[in-house]
Amino acid sequence: MLENPGLLLVAATLLPLVSFMLLLIGGRHWGRMAGWVATAAIGGAFVLSVLAFACYLPYSGLLAHNHEHSSASHHDKDGHEHKLKQAQGSMSDPHDHSHDHIPAGKRDPAIPPWQGGVVWAQTSNGEAGQASVFRLGFYVDGLTVAMFVMITLVATLIHIFSTGYMAEELQAELEDHQAHVVRRGRYPRFFTYMSLFCFSMLNLVLADNLFQIFVSWELVGICSYLLIGYYYERQSASNAANKAFITNRIGDAGFIVGLAILWTYTGTLTLHDTVHERKTANGEIRHELEPGVFSRVRMPGKDVHGEPLPGELDKWFGNFVRVQPIETANGAGAEVRYRFHPQGDFVLLFSGHFHGDDLTNPEGISANTFPTNEGLALIPYWALVAAGIGIFLGCVGKSAQFPLHVWLPDAMEGPTPVSALIHAATMVAAGVYLVGRAFPLFTPEVLLIIAYVGAATLFIAATIALVQTDIKKVLAYSTVSQLGFMMLALGVGGWIAGLFHLLTHAFFKALLFLGSGSVIHGCHHEQDMMKMGGLYDKMKITAGTMLVGVLAIAGAPLFSGWYSKDAIMVSALAFVTHYPQHILLFLLPLVTVAMTAFYMFRLWYLTFTGEPRDEHVYQNAQESPWVMTMPLIVLAFFSVVVAWGLPPWDPHASALEHYLDHEMPIYLHPDPGNQLQDEFLAPVRKYVEQPETFPNIQLPEPGTLAGLLALLSAGIGFLLATTVYYWGYFDPEATREQFARVYAFLCEKWHFDELYRWMAVRPALVLARVCRWFDLHVIDGLVDGSARVTVKISQWDGKFDLGIIDGLVNLTANIIYAIGAWLRNVQTGLLRNYVLFLALAAIGIFAVVSYILALVG
Amino acid sequence: MTAIGLTHYLLIGAVLFVCGVVCMAIKRNAIGVLMGVELVLNGATVNFAAFARFHDAFRVEGQIFALFTIVLAAAEAAIALAIVLNFYNNYLTVDVDSAEELKG
Repeated sequence: MLENPGLLLVAATLLPLVSFMLLLIGGRHWGRMAGWVATAAIGGAFVLSVLAFACYLPYSGLLAHNHEHSSASHHDKDGHEHKLKQAQGSMSDPHDHSHDHIPAGKRDPAIPPWQGGVVWAQTSNGEAGQASVFRLGFYVDGLTVAMFVMITLVATLIHIFSTGYMAEELQAELEDHQAHVVRRGRYPRFFTYMSLFCFSMLNLVLADNLFQIFVSWELVGICSYLLIGYYYERQSASNAANKAFITNRIGDAGFIVGLAILWTYTGTLTLHDTVHERKTANGEIRHELEPGVFSRVRMPGKDVHGEPLPGELDKWFGNFVRVQPIETANGAGAEVRYRFHPQGDFVLLFSGHFHGDDLTNPEGISANTFPTNEGLALIPYWALVAAGIGIFLGCVGKSAQFPLHVWLPDAMEGPTPVSALIHAATMVAAGVYLVGRAFPLFTPEVLLIIAYVGAATLFIAATIALVQTDIKKVLAYSTVSQLGFMMLALGVGGWIAGLFHLLTHAFFKALLFLGSGSVIHGCHHEQDMMKMGGLYDKMKITAGTMLVGVLAIAGAPLFSGWYSKDAIMVSALAFVTHYPQHILLFLLPLVTVAMTAFYMFRLWYLTFTGEPRDEHVYQNAQESPWVMTMPLIVLAFFSVVVAWGLPPWDPHASALEHYLDHEMPIYLHPDPGNQLQDEFLAPVRKYVEQPETFPNIQLPEPGTLAGLLALLSAGIGFLLATTVYYWGYFDPEATREQFARVYAFLCEKWHFDELYRWMAVRPALVLARVCRWFDLHVIDGLVDGSARVTVKISQWDGKFDLGIIDGLVNLTANIIYAIGAWLRNVQTGLLRNYVLFLALAAIGIFAVVSYILALVG
Repeated sequence: MTAIGLTHYLLIGAVLFVCGVVCMAIKRNAIGVLMGVELVLNGATVNFAAFARFHDAFRVEGQIFALFTIVLAAAEAAIALAIVLNFYNNYLTVDVDSAEELKG
C-alpha cells in the first residue's frame, strides 16, 4: 500500500502533461501516433484513478453502510463524528499528527484526506510576522476521487472516439467546405490541446488551494478557446472562440476579486487545513497546523490546547460567527472590542492559535483587523458576501449560467469530441464543482443568488432548446439547462444532489454529444436535424445508445439521470417547504423537467425516426467505425448503471449518492443534539436546532412527492414529444405559426445576443472607434510630425556631410594627388639622371650639414 | 714644400671620386659608366689606405677595408659586365639612355 495514495492522482494528473509536452515538441510529424500517445496518457491516468478509487473505498464509508439505504436523508452519525473529531483533533494537537505517524493500513478509516504539496512561492515575512505562501498542493477526498474517475473515464473514451472522428485531419491536404479553403490536416494539434486540457482539468480538481484552482481554471479556459477555434479558418469558429473567452473573462474578473478579498482578510487561499513541518530552535521537528480558509471562516471545534470551547461555545461548531463592535465611552484611544450579534457587521476569523477564553471575556472579544496566524481576526460580513459572489461569478462564466450562458451554444463550432469533453462533461461542470468545493465559504445570501441564477438558467436554456434545429445546439442548451439544475441544487443547500447530478450528467451528456458526433460524422457533416430523419436503419448502434442517453437525461426510472434529478427535486422541495416565498425555485425546475424530456425526445425522433427528409443526406449516411461506436456503448452502459444502488428501483438507495453523502463538508452536517441557551447564539441556533433549515438542509424523509412530480412532468414531456414528432397527431408547423411571436423570441434565444450587442458590444465598438480616431489623428499625427521633422533635419545634415566634411577630406586627397603627380616627373628612368641626382643630393646634404655645423660651431 | 701627408692622399681620393661620379653622369656607354664606378671605388680605397697609414685607430681596419673594397670591385665588375651583356641582348646597344623602364 502506498504511504500516500494521493500521489496516484498526482501521477494521473501529470501523465497528460507529459503527453502534452511530447506532442508539443515532436507531435507535428507523428500523424496517427499523436492520437495514440494522448489516448495512452489519459488511459494511464484512468487506470491510476481507478487504483486510487480502490484505495479510497475503505475510507469512504460506502462499503460499511451500503446495506442501509432506506433514506436519502440518512446521515452516517458515527462516521460524521469520527470526521468531526478528526477535524477537532487536528486543531488540538499539532505535535502528534495522525496523518503522518500512523502507518498506512492502520489509518483511522475516518481520516479520508490524503494531502500534500510544496511551497510554490513565498513572500517575505510581513510586519505581522506572517509569510504569505502560494502552495502547489493536492487535497484528495471522495469528491476528488470520484471526479477523477469520471473525468479520466469520459476523457479516455472521447480520446478513442476522436481517433476515429478526427481521422480526416490526417490528410496532408484537406478542404474545409465551410470556410472554402484547402489547408493542411491538424490531427496532432487536436490531441496536443486535448492533453493540455486533461492535465488542467485534473489539476483543477486536485488542487488544495483556490489559487491553484484559478490557474487551472484559466488553463482550461485557454484550452477551450483553442479547441473551439480549432477550425479557425471559419469566421464563425473564431468568433465563437473569442466570445467564449471574453465571456469567461467577465466571470473570472469576479473570481479574482473574490480571491483578493479572501486573501486580504484571511491571508491564505488554502481550502483545508494543512500540516507544516517546522524545526524548532533545539532541532526538533514540530508539526504545525495551518488552518485553511474553511476553518478560518467557520467556527472550529476546539482551541489551540485541544480544550473544548468553554460554555456553550462548542455548540457553534461549523458556523459563521457574527460580531458587532461594542461602543465604549472611553473615547478614541481605547481598544475596540466585539460582542456576538446575530446581524453583526463582522465575522470572526479563527486563525491557528486562539484560546477558548478569548471568546468568553466578559468585556467582549478582542480581535485583529488584519490577517495573522495568531488569535482571532475579523472580516466584514459584506466582504464575505462579496467574496462568495465573486467566486460564484467565476462559476457563472465557466458553467455558462445566466446571464453569461451565451458562449456555450456558440462553442459548438468546435469539433464534436471537444463539445462532449469540454463543453458538456468536464470543464463547464468545473463551475459547479467549485461551488461545491468552496461551499463552506458561501453565506445564505450568496446561496440564494446561486439558487436563483440556477433556476433562471435552467428555465431559459430549456425553452430555447425547444426550438433549435441544429442537433448540437439542442444538446448545448440542454447542457446549460442541466448545469442550471446543479447550481439550483447547490444553492438550496443540496450539496449532494448538485454534485451527484454533475457526475451522472457527465456520462449521459458525453454519450449524447458523442452520439451526435457519430451522426454528424455519418451524415458527412450535416448538423441540421431538419435534413435528417429515418436514420435508425442506417446507424442502429448510434441510435440505440443515444436513446439510452435521452432516457437518462429525461429522468426515466432506472437510468442514472433519474436518481440525480430526483435528489435535486427533493432538495428544492424541502427548501421551498421552509421558505414558501421562494416557490419559483421548485416550480421552474418542475416545468423544465417536462421540457427536457420534450426536447430530447424531439431530437431523437427527428434524427432517427420518420421519413428521411433529405434524400441526399439519407443516401450517404452510414454507421461510424468501431472506434466511435465502442465509446458510445461504454458510455451508455455507465449512463445506466453509474447511480445504481441496492435495490436499483429505490431512487434514494443510489450508492453514488451515499458515497457523496459521506463526503459532505463537515461544516454542513447539522448537529441536532445541541440546545443553545445563550441569546448571542441565536443565528447559530437557527441552523443547529432546526437542521433542516437553510442552508444546513436535511431532506424530508422519503422525498417521494418531489420524485413523483418530476416523473409525472417528464412523462408529460415525453408524451407530448411522441404525439407531435412520432405519431404526428399535431403538425409542429401549425403550432409554430400559431405562436409565431413566441417562436421567434425563442429562436432569437430570448434576444440575449442582441441585448449584449447593444449593451456591451456596440459601446465597446464605439469606444474603439473613438480611440481609433484619436490614435489615427492625434497619436499618429504626433508621431508622423516628429518623423517629418526628423527627415528634414536629416536631409540638411546629409547636405552638410556631403558638402563640407567630405569636401575637406577630398580636398586633402586632391592636393596630395597633385603633388604626387608633379613629383612623378623626377623619376625619369634614365640611369645617368639618377647618378646626377645622387651626386647633387650628396652635395646638398653635405652643404646643409656643413652650414648647420658652422652655425653650431 | 711640406712632406706628403694625409691631406694629399685625401685630395687624390676626392679627385678620383669626383672623376668617377662625373664619368658615371655623363657617359652614355655602359662600359664608361662601369669605369666611373671603378674610379669611385678606387677613390674610396685610397682614402682607406691613407687613413691606415696616418691614423693609428685605423691601422689594421683601413687596410682590411681597402682589401675588401678591391675584392668588392672585382665582384662588382663581374656582375656589372654580366648586366651589360644582358642589356646588350635586350637593346642591341650599350647606350644606357635607351633604357627608361624605371620612369615613374
